[in-house]
This record gives sequence, structure tokens and C-alpha cells, in this order.
Amino acid sequence: MHLPRFRHLSATSFEEAVSLLNEYPDAALMAGGTDLLPRMKYRLDSPEVIVSLKALPADSPSVTPEGNLALDPLMTLTAVNRSDMIREWAPLLSEAAQRVATQEIRNMGTLGGNLCQQTRCLYYNQRHSFQFVEPCYKRGGEICYFIPKGKKCWAVFMADTAPPLISLGAQVKIIGQGIRQILLEDLYTGETEKPLAMASGEVLSQILIPKAPGNRGAAFFKSTLRGGLEFATLSVAAVLDMEDDGETCSTARLTIGAVSAAPLRVRKAESALTGKRLSKELFSQVADEVVAEIRPVPHHGHSRAYLTECLRAETRHALCSAGEGIKKN
Amino acid sequence: MDKLDYVGKRVLRKDGPDKVTGRAMYTVDMEFRGMLTGGILRSPHPHARILNIDTSRALKLPGVRAVITAQDTLGVKHGFVETPRYPPDQHPLATDKVRFVGEEVVAVAATDPYVVEEAMDLIDVDYEPLPAVFDAEEAMKPEAPEIHPTHPKVEGPFHNIGGKTASGWGDIEAGFANSDYVRQDRFESHLRTHGYLEPQATVASFEPDGKLNIWTSSQGPFIKRAKLARTLGLPFSTVRVQKAYVGGAFGGKIDLFSHEFCAALLSMKTGRPVKIIVSREEIFSAYRHGQPLIVEVKTGAKKDGTLLAQQFKIINNAGAYRGSGVVVIFLAWGFAMLPYRVANFEYEGYSVFTNNPIRTPQRGHGAPQLRFAVESQLDMIAEELGIDPIEIRMKNARRSGEQLPNGDNVHNCGLRDCIQLIDKHTSLREKYGQGRAAGSSDRMRRGIGIGVSSYFGGSLIYPNSSSVVVKMNDDGSVALLTGAMDIGQGAETILSQIVAEELKVPVDEIQVTAADTETTPVDIGSWISGNAYVSGNATRMAAGEVRKKLIDLASEALEANADDLILKDKRIYVAGSPNRGLTYQKLVSASIQERKGDPIIGEGHWRTMRDEPFHPSLASTKGRWSENYAFDAQTAEVEVDTETGEVRLLRAVTAHDCGFPINPLLVEGQIDGQVSMALGHAFLEEIMMEEGRTLNPNWLDYRMPTIHNMAPSEHIDVITEKYEVGQPYRTKEVGEGYVSAILGAIANAIYDAVGVRLFSTPFSAEKILRGLGKIK
Amino acid sequence: MEKRPGKQLLELTVNDEFYELAVEPQETLLEVLRNHLGLTGTKEGCGTGECGTCTVLMEGEPILSCLTLAMDCRQKKIQTIEGLDRGEGLTVVQDAFLQQGAVQCGFCTPGMVLATTALLEENPHPSQEEIKKGLEGHLCRCTGYNKIFEAVEQAARGKSRDGDLGSV
Repeated sequence: MHLPRFRHLSATSFEEAVSLLNEYPDAALMAGGTDLLPRMKYRLDSPEVIVSLKALPADSPSVTPEGNLALDPLMTLTAVNRSDMIREWAPLLSEAAQRVATQEIRNMGTLGGNLCQQTRCLYYNQRHSFQFVEPCYKRGGEICYFIPKGKKCWAVFMADTAPPLISLGAQVKIIGQGIRQILLEDLYTGETEKPLAMASGEVLSQILIPKAPGNRGAAFFKSTLRGGLEFATLSVAAVLDMEDDGETCSTARLTIGAVSAAPLRVRKAESALTGKRLSKELFSQVADEVVAEIRPVPHHGHSRAYLTECLRAETRHALCSAGEGIKKN
Repeated sequence: MDKLDYVGKRVLRKDGPDKVTGRAMYTVDMEFRGMLTGGILRSPHPHARILNIDTSRALKLPGVRAVITAQDTLGVKHGFVETPRYPPDQHPLATDKVRFVGEEVVAVAATDPYVVEEAMDLIDVDYEPLPAVFDAEEAMKPEAPEIHPTHPKVEGPFHNIGGKTASGWGDIEAGFANSDYVRQDRFESHLRTHGYLEPQATVASFEPDGKLNIWTSSQGPFIKRAKLARTLGLPFSTVRVQKAYVGGAFGGKIDLFSHEFCAALLSMKTGRPVKIIVSREEIFSAYRHGQPLIVEVKTGAKKDGTLLAQQFKIINNAGAYRGSGVVVIFLAWGFAMLPYRVANFEYEGYSVFTNNPIRTPQRGHGAPQLRFAVESQLDMIAEELGIDPIEIRMKNARRSGEQLPNGDNVHNCGLRDCIQLIDKHTSLREKYGQGRAAGSSDRMRRGIGIGVSSYFGGSLIYPNSSSVVVKMNDDGSVALLTGAMDIGQGAETILSQIVAEELKVPVDEIQVTAADTETTPVDIGSWISGNAYVSGNATRMAAGEVRKKLIDLASEALEANADDLILKDKRIYVAGSPNRGLTYQKLVSASIQERKGDPIIGEGHWRTMRDEPFHPSLASTKGRWSENYAFDAQTAEVEVDTETGEVRLLRAVTAHDCGFPINPLLVEGQIDGQVSMALGHAFLEEIMMEEGRTLNPNWLDYRMPTIHNMAPSEHIDVITEKYEVGQPYRTKEVGEGYVSAILGAIANAIYDAVGVRLFSTPFSAEKILRGLGKIK
Repeated sequence: MEKRPGKQLLELTVNDEFYELAVEPQETLLEVLRNHLGLTGTKEGCGTGECGTCTVLMEGEPILSCLTLAMDCRQKKIQTIEGLDRGEGLTVVQDAFLQQGAVQCGFCTPGMVLATTALLEENPHPSQEEIKKGLEGHLCRCTGYNKIFEAVEQAARGKSRDGDLGSV
């Protein structure tokens, strides 16, 4: 399969990348290329220019004056997994990075690229030379193949590093016309036609993870059929911060991935945990709460009924695992 | 029996070094000067009339060298089956209608893939969409849109019947009447595909002198030559299909594909070599998937477990053309009747046209679907009768020397040994039932199940026979000429082992020329499970002829009896007097001098069913089918997670009567690979289609097993045959037989673990959760 | 687009040999290796990063050449399956694959061998889980992975005996 033709420009800084993206409106930014290039081979994207970030080395993780761990989005997922500093500060992220795709893709794909990946759908992620020829909403058309009478796109956001980072309270810096900083969870619009709250001339330039308070337990579960290679059926990232007594939960953050156009914080379920003493029974109740709050999109051939039960089971497991792993900091 | 030096040994494969170094050249790797790239324009409609094709704009594009449609062909049809009852029904390029999404309509040859892509956008095809039907049972209804007229010899109101198989013996009604327990069940097998790693690809080079050279990823060059020659109107002598390494096939690369024809015709038109590489997405969506079968089976048994009556109705969703659909409904009959003795038997199978891409054999060719059904039902019968799974199978399993209802004999049949040994090895009888008895509070529950299957090794299908030539080189080394196609199963290696054994020449010193229709003799091909038996016996014969000539010469020269001569290390000497001997080099030289220039060449040929003119009737099953039947029992031990519905295959054991293994290392590899494929069939793989379109035409969403899903696979050899130098042998088959029983075993193991009986594949987590009542 | 972007000069080191090639921006490393350099040992099983047959080593790390632009490989050292040949016979990994019967059709083999080589360079004593993680991106339809797993384990033992993954 060959790529369509384009002009290749190499950026040597984020600022230069922004400048090039603005100079060439029909340009695409490329970090690892593992999300963009397959889409281009399917002719879902045919930018005239690719602004490649491959010549930019990634900065090592560092701690900011405000006490956050600052990560360069150009770190490959393998580098994230291998970083002792990240493992110390945010082991949930180390673990999640290792669950993405395959070794080769982790060696190439970047953390920023994973966070900014396109949403996915069976009817979208293929070449349309003789199947589903007429464009759907995501391809700029006016129909949805997945829900034939649907009025919107139902593609889902499936990146593995997003739910853990959201549950860790991560923020991101974005360079465009100046620099802005937002919560990572606010980067995701939930609108499938424009999943990211970023303008076309903007570049994700930093990821900031606050330090864990006192006692914390965290767990990330990615459900797949095969245990590797594939995107998630669904994923659950649970972070439980405890009171000094080590048994009462002070803050809980629970984020679910792959069942919606954006990673979903399950706020009602989180409040069901806040201020409570943790127990297996509570976790079961909370899992039921999550299932009541979220209607998973039946993506990629999985039925809603199955995703619901899977969500219930995986939420329970994630909470139990987070509970067992509570560590004093 | 003589000690064997090469046959039965774990010889490393001859093409291994080429493969681990990247030197092996597959069709995709072939480059020729001036080579053009070809591409195919496909139908976006599942069923439509073609009103007009306008290629004029494409023809004007710089870089385009040829554009072809059906108008440019001779109008000669081809088909997987080409018999008087089932004449060929496919055109290489669509004529007046398209009948599946992806059907080939136009082909382009251009200087590079970019021009091909652009040219295809410039081709205008006007279609008039027609009503389409995708479900087989829907397509059979009288009101269904007609894809093709029902076969004239099939009576009844059904529409879209490509073929029917009907067979039986005994008195089915009496059988049921005399049974103590009768049950009827319906099983459905889903759509899967081969997933070979090397894409479909063809290079065609038509020379000015009229010679057409073809390299194509296939399962045997002779059938490709025949079909290419006929559709192109060329004599066989001008069509040469040559060897390229093949990156897997599993049944998906057998008969003629449009891109092969198009590459050839485009080369003929342009006078340049043309290469067509099919994209992975095209392979997943427009090429052949496996055959999904609906199996309805009604069985009657006596209370001691003896099967008295069995009645089958099979429906195959064949896709838009007849394809191999009429073969699978015949084979399903075979796989239904082989392992167990059933006195009263009735079988009816329909192959139904639908507006889906054409379906084709996939490893096992009907056996997985059949054995899943029969073995599942057998366990249900056993449970009802209070008999354990081993006992009921022993009661009905075929014995050595048993005559089959179709007139064949099973000869040495190790099935009973397979069942007993596997029980002993796995303690099945002790473990069975423990999972359910343990109580329902455990999250993880384990179970064990057994299945039994049988397969045939070689039958009569074009080109029907294999021939082999073995030549001595004058330095005493040996050349083997065989039309056999190594698709990864190790064909060239095992045939070399046979030559090595007959002539006592090391395997490394046998030079193999293979799979070239011009220079190697005909071979049955690697889709009929006959490499070891048919091509192997042909090889043995050819080497045997060489052996005899060498011995005759030596006997004369050494003035010794032939029986007193020993062959070893390319030398023949008199037993007890090793100094009295002659090297092969000297013997060849002597032959040339004394036998009028005879350089010592041996020829061998073999065919199954030597006394039968034809394959049995696909429609009535009448006729002798094979003299070579393999048997096996497989067990599966599973662990079910009752919260998520996920199942892990903990242990798979295969007790197999494969005759004898020519190369145990290769046999193990075949077993492992088939257990993996069965695991995919059971849990992971599913082609999802909607209105004739494939939703998951890639490896992300068509979930073949990865190394994470590696199944612990053990095997027990039940050796029922032997190899003796100079003697014909019966070694059964190992390439397709072990994807089937295990499927039934897994279904039975899941039931054993959690009491959930599944009637359709895949055994998805959702189905198990539903069975457990966790999803309503 | 109106004007076709022209070819650019690419300096590339492949298997310790230096090349200067005229390459179009959209050409992948895989296409350059196969079409410009005739190194056909690296395969295209899918073109979209799902099978692992296009794996090459870049600075010793396995990557997918079908999803790497040639233009992004300036000044990088690339090793293909052909690069394992140093004129001294098969490497420990290649030999292990052969000995264990881990090769059938051979199409996944170059990618598997390179990924295994890189894995064992970085982690000479991988656990079973680490082996699976290292090779999870390589599909094999023939072997069921059992003998591939054994080959990796044999190579790991061979490496620890001899210290490096050079010739057998």
C-alpha cells in the first residue's frame, strides 16, 4: 500500500511546527506516524504537507517549579515505560504505555501522539474504494453507516494513555497563538467530528502530572480479546487518594476509555467513593453505579450488553486492585 | 524392519536457511526490467447490472499501458469445480452483472502504483443496483432475488441452490423408532478467513515468442496453468507457472483468481511483465473467506450409547458463485460419517448462492464445523444416558479394517487407541464433571472436553496424480524433480527425506527442483492433504527405480547377489566386505558406458484410488473416495472467567493416528499451528459482514491469535503404519486434520466448566455471559 | 495537488553501508529498502502496522518500516534481516529458529528474527511475559508460536553461553 504524495517538512522545534502548520493550512503534524500514516494509506487523510517532528529529540522528564512532573509529548511510549522517574511518580502511566499496541509501535509512537489520536470506527478505518463508498459524517458526508438513521458520528476515542493521565489529574500545555494550559480531560470534546479541542495550528507541547498526595492506590485495566496488539474493548483507570487513616477515600478519579468519543470521567461513581471506607462491597456498588451512568457505544462489533458487563467487571477489578495497592507516599 | 536413517527423523527443513536469512524469494519479491504495476477496479454493489463501462479517460492518462474488461477476454469461464454437473460459472472479469461487493470489473496496467490509482478514478462504471440477499436461508426462499438459477438437477422450491448432496443408508425412520433417546440440534459456524501472511500476488511475463511465464502465490502450479491456459486460450505448453516461495495459504490460494488472469492478459497486451499485489484490505474483503455452515443434526441412540440413526441437514453460504461450495457439502458428509459407525444414516447438504464474496476451503474444509456439531451433541447424548464421554466414543468408534458404507476401508485405524491414550494422558474421566460439581461460587472454573475427527489423505481431484523424477548426477549426488508446492508445510523436505532413505544419500545432497509446470512433473497440489501419501509414494517409486538400477549395476560389477548389497553414504558394498564396493559416481559412469548412455533416472507416479476412474459423485457421494484415512482425538482443558466470560485454553492434547510421521518436527509444527487456528475459530476470529461488505478487513479487528494466545499443545503419536524401503506405504495426513475435533473438545470443555452449552461459534464472552445469566 | 513534490536526496546507512538515494517524500523506508536497494527480506504483510513483517532495526530498536518515512531516516543506522549476515554463517537466533522448527512458510520469519535479536540484546534473560510483549506485534499463522517461543528461549540460552548473538 502506498501513501499519497505530499511535501515533507521537518520541524526543529514546536514553535517552528506551529509556524509551518499556519503557513500550510493543509498540513498534518506527524510525530510517530503510527496513527496518521495508516489513515493516509486508507486515503482518509491526504494532507499536502507533512510537518514531521521526528528530528526533534524528546526532553527527559523533569519536575517543574510548581512541583509537577513535566513530560515531553515526543517521548516514545517505550521511553515512557522505561523511565524510572515516571515509574516513581506515576506508575499508572508506565503501565498504560506498555499496553499500547506492539513493541514496534511503542518504539515509534509518542505519548503526545497517543493522546491526540483520531477516533475510530469499523466503517471508517478502511479504504473506501469499493466499500462504504459514500462518505459518512466523519468523512465529511451526511450519513452514518453504524447507526443508519443516526444524526451524528459514533466513532470512539480509544487511546490507552488518556484515561490514566486524566485520572492522575494531568494538564497539558498547548502552543499556538501563545501558550495555554488546560486539564487533559478538557482536551477531549466528546464530538466525534472534532474530537480534540485544538485548532489546526496548535501543537501539544507538554504534559504535566501533579505529585501524588499521601496515600494513593491506582490501577489501569485494558480489556482486549487477545492480550496484546489491539485497541481496547474498553479501559478503566482508577486512582484512589486516601485520608491519613489510610482507609477512607478522600478523592477518587475513575476514567473509562474506548466506549465514547472521549474518555469519560464517571463523576457520580467517584462521589460514591469520596469520604467512604473502602471495601469490596463498596467497589461492587460503584461498579454498578458506573454501569448506570455510562451507556457504552457498541463499537467494533462488541454489543452494548457485553460492554456493559465487561465494564462492570473491569471497574470492580480496577477498584479492588487500586485498593490493594494503596501506598504511602 | 530396517533401521531408518532419514524418514521418521527430525530433519531440519531444507528451505530453512533461505527463510531465516531473508533470501527466500516470494512472488511479491520478484522484479523484472520494465515491469508494470496492475490494479483491479471492483464493484461497490453486492448485486447490480453493469450498464456501461467507460475506460476512455483512463486510457489517456500518461503512464497507463492497458485497460481491460470482460470484452477483452475470450469469455471462457472457470470455476473451482469443473464437471458436467457443475460446469464453470465464473468470468475473470464481470460481464453483464456483478454479484458481490469487490467483484472484479476492470483491470489496469501502468508504470507505477500512483498512475494505477489515478487511472482507476478515471474509469466510469454505470450500475443498476438489483435486490440482494446475504443470508443463506433467506436466499433459499422462493421470493429471494435470483443470483443464479437453482441447479437444474435439484428438485424443490428452493432458490439459489448451487448444488446439493444427498446420501444415506439403512432405514432412518426405523433407526429413530428403535432408539431409546433421540435429540435434534442446530449448530452454526461463523465466517472466518485464512489470514496467510503473504498477500495474494502474481507476476506475469508474456514473451514475444508466445511464452507466458507466471509466478503466483498458490497451492500448486498445475491447476493454475490449466485454468489460465483455458481462459486465455493458450496451449498448456506455452504457459509456464514457476515456483516462488509461498507465505502460507490454508486453502485460500487454490483455484484461479481474477488478478492472476488479469496480470497475464495485461502482460500479453502490453508486452511487458506485469505484477499485481493485492492489498491486505482487498484480501480480507473481496477474496475468499471460509465456508460458514449451518448443521442440523438429529441423532438416535440406544441406552448403552450405541448410535443407531443420524440425520443431517447442512446449509452452506457459498457466496456469489459456485466456488468450492459443492465440494464442502460433499466433504461434510464424509466428515460426518467417518469416525463413528451409524447403521442408519441420512444426509442432505445444500450449497446456496448469496451476494457475498465467494467462499472457499479453509483448512479442514467442513470438518471443523461438522465435528463441532457432532461432538457437542454426542456429549449431550452421553450426559442424558448417564455415560461418560470416553465410553460413548469407544462404543461407536471405527475399528481397524472396518468397511465404510461407501465401500472404502479404513485399513489401519488408530482411533480407539487415540481415545484411550488421550484419556489416560489427561485423566479426562476423573476430571470430567468436577468443574460443575465444585459449586458455583468460584470465579474461575475449569473443564475438560474431548472431540474426535477423521480426515482423508489425498483424493481424486484435478490433476489427480503426482509424478516425480529422481536423477543421479554424475558425481553421485541426486536431483529430485517434483511438482509439489511447499506452502510452509515442508513438502520439499519430506520428499527429500524419502529420496535420502531409498538411496542413502544425505538430505543436504539432494537438490530439489520444484513446482515448475515446465520442468517438473505433475503434482496433485497442496490442498488435498496428499503430499505425504501421494507425492511421497511417487517419490519413493522414482527413487526406488534409481535404487534398483544402481543395485543391478553393482550386483553385476561386484558379482554379488542384490540381497547381499548395502547402500550407504553414496556407495554400494557387499555385506560383510565393505572394501568390495563402488561409489555412486562409479556406478553412474558405468551405466553411461555400459547401458547405452543411461545416466540413471527414475520415474514414479501415484494416485489414490488406482482402480477408480473418478472422484465419487459430489451430488450422491456414490463411489470410492479414498484409501487413506487419518483419525484423531483431541482434548481441551479450559478455564472460564465467570465474571468476564473470557475463556483460556489451558491445555490442548492431540492423539493422532497419522500413519507414521515422515518428519516428527514438521508434524509437531502442523499440530501446533492447527490448535492455534482452532483457538482462533473458537474465541477470537470473526469476519463481520453487513450487506456483503466486510467491516473488519484488517488484522486489528480480525483477531488472529498472537503470541499471547499461544496454546500449550501436546501430542500423542499413534503409529499405525510404517515405512519400509522399497515398499509402498500409507502415511495419512497431518496438514488439515487437527483443527476439528478440538473445536468440539473446547465446546464440551466449556460445558464441563460452567454448564453452558454453545451451539454456535465463536464461543464469545458474550455468549458465555448470556449462558450464565449475567446478560439477559 | 498542483505540482508534484520532487525527489529529495536521502543519505541512509543500511546494514553498515552508506547510500545516497533520490527519494520521494511519501516513500516509506520499506519501499526504499525493497525497491531502491533490492533488500527484499523485509516484507509487506499489511502495510498498516498490524503484522510485523516489515520490521527492521533502527539504532538497534525494532520499528515498522511500512509506517516510517524514508525522509525521516537521515543519519539513522538501519539493519535489515540481510544485515545479520556477516559472512560467518547463521546467528544464534537464526539457528535457534531453524533447530526448533520455528519456520514454516517463512514470511513472518525475518521480522520475528530481528525482533528476537533486538529483544535479547536488550534483555538477555527475558521472562516468558517479556518474550510475549516483545513479539506481540508479529503475527504467525503457521506455527501457533509454540516453536517460535522455544527458539527464543534456546537463543537466550545460547547467547548467555557465548556472550553475543553472533554466529553459531
